[in-house]
Amino acid sequence: MEAHAATTVLHRDGTELLATARLSDRRVAWLFVCTGLLLFCVMGLAGLAMRLSQAEVFTLSPSWFYRLMTLHGAGMLVGALLAMMGALWFVLRTTVPLHVGRMLASYLAIVGGAVLVVIAVLLGGFAAGWTFLWPLPFDSFAAWRPWAADTFLAGMLLVGAGFFVFCLDLLMQTTAAYGGLQRALGISFLRNRDDSPPPPAAIAAMVVSIEGLLASAAGTTILVALIGHAIDSGLELDALWAKNLTYFFGHSVANLIIYLAAGAVYVLLPGYTGRPWKTTKPIVVAWLFTLLFVATAYSHHLYMDFVQPEWAQGFSSVASFGAALPPAVVTIFTGVVLIWGSRYRWTLASTLLYLGFMGWAIGGTGAVIDSLIPINFKFHNTLWVPAHFHTYLLLGVIFWAFALFVRMLEESAGQTARDGVSAFAVGALLVGGYGFVGAWYVSGALGIPRRWAVHPEGTAGYSLAGSIFVIVFAVGVLVLLLECLRLARIASVYRWDRVPASRASLPAVRDGEPLLTTGFQFAAVSAAALVFLGSFAPSITDATEESVRYHHLQHAAQFLVGLLVGAAVASMPAVFARIRRHPNFGIALVVAGPAVMLLVMLPSIYESFEGNDWVHLLYHLGITALGVVTGLAAGTLGLVTGRLVLVLSIGMALMYAAGATGG
Amino acid sequence: MLRFGEPQVAIAIVFGVLAVTIAGAALVIAVHAKEDVPYDDVSRSGYRLRRPWLAFLCGLGVVAVGFSFFLLPYASGGGNDTTVAVSGGQFYWTVDPAVLPAHEQVRFDVTSVDVNHGFGVYDPNGRLIGSVQAMPGYTNELELTFDTVGEYRIRCFEYCGLSHHNMVASFRVEER
Repeated sequence: MEAHAATTVLHRDGTELLATARLSDRRVAWLFVCTGLLLFCVMGLAGLAMRLSQAEVFTLSPSWFYRLMTLHGAGMLVGALLAMMGALWFVLRTTVPLHVGRMLASYLAIVGGAVLVVIAVLLGGFAAGWTFLWPLPFDSFAAWRPWAADTFLAGMLLVGAGFFVFCLDLLMQTTAAYGGLQRALGISFLRNRDDSPPPPAAIAAMVVSIEGLLASAAGTTILVALIGHAIDSGLELDALWAKNLTYFFGHSVANLIIYLAAGAVYVLLPGYTGRPWKTTKPIVVAWLFTLLFVATAYSHHLYMDFVQPEWAQGFSSVASFGAALPPAVVTIFTGVVLIWGSRYRWTLASTLLYLGFMGWAIGGTGAVIDSLIPINFKFHNTLWVPAHFHTYLLLGVIFWAFALFVRMLEESAGQTARDGVSAFAVGALLVGGYGFVGAWYVSGALGIPRRWAVHPEGTAGYSLAGSIFVIVFAVGVLVLLLECLRLARIASVYRWDRVPASRASLPAVRDGEPLLTTGFQFAAVSAAALVFLGSFAPSITDATEESVRYHHLQHAAQFLVGLLVGAAVASMPAVFARIRRHPNFGIALVVAGPAVMLLVMLPSIYESFEGNDWVHLLYHLGITALGVVTGLAAGTLGLVTGRLVLVLSIGMALMYAAGATGG
Repeated sequence: MLRFGEPQVAIAIVFGVLAVTIAGAALVIAVHAKEDVPYDDVSRSGYRLRRPWLAFLCGLGVVAVGFSFFLLPYASGGGNDTTVAVSGGQFYWTVDPAVLPAHEQVRFDVTSVDVNHGFGVYDPNGRLIGSVQAMPGYTNELELTFDTVGEYRIRCFEYCGLSHHNMVASFRVEER
């Protein structure tokens, strides 16, 4: 059976994923993909319950409807994220030596966060939506308890921290494997300075990791600010600022799930076409544009906040349209070229993989239409919105997650899923899936608002139609899972824990470089630290008492002094030689340092010190010490990742200073 | 009772045609996927199409996004005969004045006294005109001209708590 596996399950020229994977790598992939799909199934049932209630088949109380809505949103985000993190990590492991321990730490943080979310929702009654828009978590009309809001926010903070750790490892190891930022992003290849560019999956990983770090930093800032308000109600936040940060975090992470998936697809598809997906210059250009557009498109969530600067609205419109070009012109287009005339090996896995492209394209089209501001005026927060994002997430990303899951089982079992069962499952998924989102598109055109427990009178029929299609989809998932169970049983007998026949040799990782590499850089950093040392001057302290924003800006400057000192010390040869061996400590500290710095910036804490100049000075020195620790920790992460972490850390302090208005 | 608005129907039809086209293309590609064509031939023909495809999409983007900038719903900042103060709170709307003139540009100054809400306006026939957010600490200005007299319904368009779906109000438009 093993001898025929490659020709039975894949294209005759395809390469098995599992053949060269270590047991630990396979276990990590199973862990992430299975957890993700389990969450998807449970949250899908929650979604069905909401649709049936809207269809008036039975009645969920508003409390339970909105609790399920909150759980469904957060849970689906975490489920799809976990599945696709596992997918990209697994396919990348053959070329980039990613760290198993850090991946497991990321898993524990994300799953731990999800558990807190479940506790907050089911036990505490939290129902502010996964978007936790300020100040709703604290303004519930006694619908949920304060501890529930705190627990939910802490849970989301953990999810963000877990994703941050994942992105850190991805960025550190990919830049180390390919020799720096420009090589790993393919820029050197683009400039004809590199004959052997990284594979497309590695370039995707670079973009996802950079964007993921930016999004997580924004998420940490808003979540810590909200937790700060929970601790000290004197800390008030600016609503527009909070909305920008919330959507920068939420939209970007949801969007990155697709790009994580795209990175995995670069490796999955050639298994069925027998044609390798090579890095070309258009692919590099496409990902560089994606890097720009993903970071700027989030603002379309604020189109109907007319006070958002108009230039930001316009730029977001361009970015939202532009973000569709790289997939349309490069990834999907190249996929078609690879598939056409390839004697494509149709199996259950490869069919789901193929159909995932279709879901991505159709859902993306719905999103692009909605990204035009005058059209958004007619569709904003109607059911058109969940229609289009369910099209590319449910019928795109989740199809791809199942494709990977089934492929691993088919490879393990050495045989494909049965044709008749596959056809039934795929048919049910297509009819159910497109019928389900179709009902939403029509409802959106009718102007039915989203996130309504009880829809406007006379519209329950659309929900009923949607519910029936969801049930058809669920039957498809059930049949698919039963077939997977059959494959798993065969795999457990024959090949489940087989030792790989051969293991691809991993590329050598270059030694990390210190943050500062030249005398000029040391001089510049020292000079900057001296300048910002002025933030300790008593006259500055007195002046910043005028406004909370200025006060927090002073703290940010003091934190920056610490960051610069820490970075300079970490770059000294004698120090760097010692700390470079402890990147795991470094990761833990760069996650905790900035968050703790924001958390201690509470009026109730620092105002109690203001009566005594020496104690006040000690508090400011404490902020600087947190900066020193963060700077030293960043020094363990290598030049690219460490510098980005420094920028993000001070960025978080500045963002926080900009948003806090009370106290 | 809700009814389909004309722009929404037109946009949904455009989307539907595009979606069916994509699905049709996927079917055609799936049929040809089973064939055995040398990769060099496929890539030569395929990549020859890529530049025109890119040019077409860029052109479409410039036209669509560029044209949309002339139709922005943001207030122009002048020439309003009537200004209406709109305030959202959990779970009610205050609209002052609540009777508005037809055929004149009206500016709604929309804000919130607590959490984020959404000011979604439906005409007397149940067609969604559009929406704007009501945000605490900010005032969003929305300019509309009503040509149909009757009762206009307001529905909340931003999730704001357990009675979000009950946050419904109305105002009247009459001939002056």
